[in-house]
Amino acid sequence: MTEFQLFLGLGLLLFLLGVHGLVLSEHTIRRLIAINVSGGGVFLVMVSLASRGDSVDPVMQALVVTGLVVAVSATAFALRLGSALTRAESSDREGDH
Amino acid sequence: MNWALLSLALPLLSAFWVLLVRRAVSETILFATLVSLTAALAAFYQVQSDPVQTLLLGDWTLPLAIRFELTSLNALLMVLTATIHFLVGLYNRFSRHGSGRYSDYWPLSAVLHSALVALWLSRDLFNWYVTLELLTLVAVALVTLSGPKAYRAALGYLVLSLIASLFYLLGVALLYGEYGVLDLDRLSALAVDSANTRLALLLMVLGLMLKAALWPLYLWLPDAHANAPTAVSALLSALVVKGPLFILWLTLTQIAPVEFAQQLGLIFALFGSVALLSGAWSALRTPYLKTLVAYSTVAQLGYALITLGLLLRWQTPELATALWLFVIAHALAKVSAFLAAGEMQATFGSKELIAVRGASQSMPLAMFAFAVAGGSLIGLPPSGGFLAKWILLQPLFAEPAHWPWALAILLGTLASAAYVFRVVALAFDRYDVETELPQTDALAQWLSLLPALVVWGLALISQPLMLWLSTGANP
Repeated sequence: MTEFQLFLGLGLLLFLLGVHGLVLSEHTIRRLIAINVSGGGVFLVMVSLASRGDSVDPVMQALVVTGLVVAVSATAFALRLGSALTRAESSDREGDH
Repeated sequence: MNWALLSLALPLLSAFWVLLVRRAVSETILFATLVSLTAALAAFYQVQSDPVQTLLLGDWTLPLAIRFELTSLNALLMVLTATIHFLVGLYNRFSRHGSGRYSDYWPLSAVLHSALVALWLSRDLFNWYVTLELLTLVAVALVTLSGPKAYRAALGYLVLSLIASLFYLLGVALLYGEYGVLDLDRLSALAVDSANTRLALLLMVLGLMLKAALWPLYLWLPDAHANAPTAVSALLSALVVKGPLFILWLTLTQIAPVEFAQQLGLIFALFGSVALLSGAWSALRTPYLKTLVAYSTVAQLGYALITLGLLLRWQTPELATALWLFVIAHALAKVSAFLAAGEMQATFGSKELIAVRGASQSMPLAMFAFAVAGGSLIGLPPSGGFLAKWILLQPLFAEPAHWPWALAILLGTLASAAYVFRVVALAFDRYDVETELPQTDALAQWLSLLPALVVWGLALISQPLMLWLSTGANP
């Protein structure tokens, strides 16, 4: 097994692990971590595809960087939304008592 | 092309401007949307004499460049996007139940506008990924505007959209790994029937179906669309779900190997038939007004899915005319339906469907708007919805082997008539004389009626419309 195949396989495995985790978990933080594991898997696939030849493919690496920026901002937004949701629900519960 | 770029850039620039200045927010955005609409019309006029215009961003050469392409189809979609943003903006500004002059609705909706125009213009798989993410983030932020009660729905929408984006991205990565290009035309020339291509396309299809809320991956849609503020529900149902549908159509018609496309087409057409019935069934059962309208979107997307499926199955690009006519008619009708439903819900102060009892007396205009929009959703002649269905049905009637599909579409028509009449019949119930008539807002009701009148007006220009769509849809 070459290095390329190893990383490609690992990337696909991570992607599937993330999807599996997302389907099974209910908790917001767990689901976000699952998405980020999947995202890491996709980026690993992309990076390993980029470095498969003699020279590294810069286009693919640029795509990964763009993807990382998107992933970071989306995660930040989701975390903020999740914490707002928790706060809203806990204040609802206090209001009931 | 310059007009198209102006139409793309203006909403984006105005969004940043109002974020910096924080003055005259709604006026600035509405003005920018109006100018953007004018620019889109100019681009549409221009494209009549020069049918396919391309632009390589930053003057890079292919395969490195990101390519924009302007055809009469996407010029028409740009006009539609700007028109709907303008109408919904007017409603949001002038209705008593709108979000107010300074809310975050304004910059967010402007970014949404730009993201959609960028999506219509792009012909690059990775740029589509970026526009999809932009659409998602802005759409989720817009849903949260209705306050803490919408946070759960918004978070569900965000999580599913993010994983859908990753499916799409993995598919794009696999395609790039095999062919080394991201440009749609280049890929279309290079693509062969390989296991990797099939896997990549399958991943992309899954992601896009989830984002477009196509059956069976629609479960996030009713919650998100029904809990959003009224103006936002209208934008989401009318435009946002159509973006991924556009990418789905282009990738599958351009890149997919014929045999694979035919297999997918059959599945799409079957799923579409189920969507028509199951969406309508849920719309018939729900106790809430806006949820009913949201389920109607699920059902109506079934038509789009059947059309796309049969187009792929029989490899008949002509059906694209029906697909896009259908998308345009649904967008306009759904804006009217959501604005009318939201206006009634806010006026009567209840989410429940039962609250519209007697609405034909207390809010005749809004009810009329809902009924007129419903007429196009059902496909009554001579509305835009009828026109789309007619073009779709013609090849189906021509051959006895195709009759089962025609039957599915007719059943779907009956089912959509059932949920539209469920609301209309309730509205014509006698109003209880002793209760006080609520304060109504005539202007907001007129604004909700406008798009419905436009969709019926489409019938007047059906001939040129079909011509524009068929030249634009068959690159």
